[in-house]
Amino acid sequence: MNKFDDQATKALLERNLITENQYEEITSYRNLNIFSLNAELKLFLYLSVLLFTSGIGVLIYNNIDSIGHIAILSLLLIVIVVCFYFCFKNSKGFQKQETAFEHPVLEYLVLAANILTCVFIGYLQFQYEAFGTHYGLATLIPTVVSFFCAYYFDNKSVLAIAITGLAAYVGLSVTPQDLLNNSRFYSGQSLGYSAVMLGGLLILWTIYSSKIQLKTHFKIIYLTFALHIISIASINNLIYYYYGIWIVFAFILAGSSFYFYKVSHQMKAMSLYVFMIIYAYIGLNIFLFRLCEAVDFSDFWQLLILILPVYFIGSIIMFIKLIKTFNKEIAA
Amino acid sequence: MIVYDKNLLDNLTLVEEANSLEAAGFISKEQKVFIKKELPAFKRQSNILVRIGFFLLGAFLYLSICGVIALMGFTTNEHSFSEICCYLFAIVGFAGAEFLAQQKYYEHGLDDAFILGALLNVGVAIAITTEGYEIQVAIFVAVASFFMYRRYLHLLSLLVFCLAASAVLFYGMFELGSIGEMILPFAAMLISAGFYFFTKRILNNLKESYYCKGLLLANTFCLVLFYLSCNYLVVRELSIDFLGSEVRPGEDIPFSFFFYAFTFIVPVLYLIQALKTKDRIMLWISFLAIGFSIYTIRYYYSVLPIEVALTLGGLVLFALAYFSIRKLKDNEAGLTFKPDRINNSYAILNAEALIVASAFGMKPEAKAPDSPMNYGGGGFSGGGSEGTF
Repeated sequence: MNKFDDQATKALLERNLITENQYEEITSYRNLNIFSLNAELKLFLYLSVLLFTSGIGVLIYNNIDSIGHIAILSLLLIVIVVCFYFCFKNSKGFQKQETAFEHPVLEYLVLAANILTCVFIGYLQFQYEAFGTHYGLATLIPTVVSFFCAYYFDNKSVLAIAITGLAAYVGLSVTPQDLLNNSRFYSGQSLGYSAVMLGGLLILWTIYSSKIQLKTHFKIIYLTFALHIISIASINNLIYYYYGIWIVFAFILAGSSFYFYKVSHQMKAMSLYVFMIIYAYIGLNIFLFRLCEAVDFSDFWQLLILILPVYFIGSIIMFIKLIKTFNKEIAA
Repeated sequence: MIVYDKNLLDNLTLVEEANSLEAAGFISKEQKVFIKKELPAFKRQSNILVRIGFFLLGAFLYLSICGVIALMGFTTNEHSFSEICCYLFAIVGFAGAEFLAQQKYYEHGLDDAFILGALLNVGVAIAITTEGYEIQVAIFVAVASFFMYRRYLHLLSLLVFCLAASAVLFYGMFELGSIGEMILPFAAMLISAGFYFFTKRILNNLKESYYCKGLLLANTFCLVLFYLSCNYLVVRELSIDFLGSEVRPGEDIPFSFFFYAFTFIVPVLYLIQALKTKDRIMLWISFLAIGFSIYTIRYYYSVLPIEVALTLGGLVLFALAYFSIRKLKDNEAGLTFKPDRINNSYAILNAEALIVASAFGMKPEAKAPDSPMNYGGGGFSGGGSEGTF
């Protein structure tokens, strides 16, 4: 409500918390009565790209036998070329720092072109087996294209696609919904190791790229993926494996939690910090549960229930402290 | 009625204002830190992730306390205890909420867990006592949640109140018999319109800033309810579900013409009104309402096959956004494409990368290489996109 914002600004002035000049600047800006549709219209562009590319994807999928293949391929190719043409024409070329197009529409054209390229390559492989039985190659090429687009045009959404592609090449599914619901991709032991390795690689890449100052604003995306991949993989293996192996993953989880504790302070990133704490807490609880199992508490379970509230109160106090120190440190 | 110190509530408004001014670049960061230090404040978590985390922890704590009570109760007298256990749990919730409020916890996550838990238990307890008599449950929950809002200024409780109050209206009309059932959509429409203007008027004459958010929420709820009350899809499906009336092919529900017209005119009215009064919440509701109206039509008449509809829809939306941007690009004041320094809705744009990764993320190739449907990775078979829209 506008009225209350004005009142609050005035109250700040009356308490001498802001200066007279600042107050005048703010009120004159407010009097412009700006109603910006920036975010909304960008969201529309974004939705339109999603709708269009899904439509094309379904169209090809459903009509794979009826329309001529050449017709589909050439039509797709034309659309891709047109999109890329506009993007290259208006881009400022590759730059190491953060850049943006002058016109916001182009950012979304890059996204559309990139998704369509992936559809194109997938279709090529399905229909003509262009890469033969090298199924990995059919994943790798879209991934490489996506990485190139992400870095050349500075596009975070495309980068996210590229990372999922990289993970798919290793054999993991890291789309957010899979990370949330389905863990079967991680529970295999070798997949667990490769997930941890992938996460480690992503971390190493962020260290290297911040050394050479390459697109440092991408760091948070890489780290987010790395945190979730490593932690979920280790937690799954903690749950499913008995006899020794789970201890390895307990150490991995502890190590990654320590690293992300450091790095979240460095980046002042609350989201990394919170998820790190949550994963570490889950891991700790599984660890405690394992200990209880070993001691065989079956006769004392009532005692456990009585202790539980105390345990949670203790955890809450600890969490409040952790969050407080974090807030203090990033404010400093 | 409010348990909190009013000075603290006022300070909260000031600190929020300072935050948004700092984000807009009007005051320096040091100044903001100074302002925060000057004004005593609640124990509050402004970060939504942290708040959800504390909510979960609070819920665990609540559950474990209830577990202890249940343990003691069931060992003494099993039968009578199961009758009253939910009342006891609700009392735990009320006590916890009161304790946290005395400790100056506000919008922290812990308090959310206890307040919502208490409301849930009130509902379940009444349902057990009355053996699931809906309108009584709704009435008690509505009263309890309104009390929670007035005492703790808890916005989620107010939302619960709005839902419960609509449920009271809904079941109340059913009690009236067939006449009530007939006029239910119209009654809901008129009542929500009435409350919309009522809350709007209070909002305009409001003196205390801390009631502002709650009233805005109630106001918004009325807008949504107004649209849904006479939406064709909602009316038709509800009348099939609850009244058992069948719609045979070639027939339609009574007053169908009115409902069709309503479904299309109201979103457009919302949109125009939102742009005229520069009301961002109404704008978003109008977008959602337009989307739902399109869904309503597609639900009954498949005008175009889904893929063509998606592709064309994408193109139309793209053109619409492109031309609007071109038109608004250079406006300095009023309606514009330039980002607003103070009020912006960027949070939604930050989620873009996440949405793309969920919709179009690549999946590893199927493990059986001889399967005829093997797509060889790429994963763009529409697998990511099917059913999402």
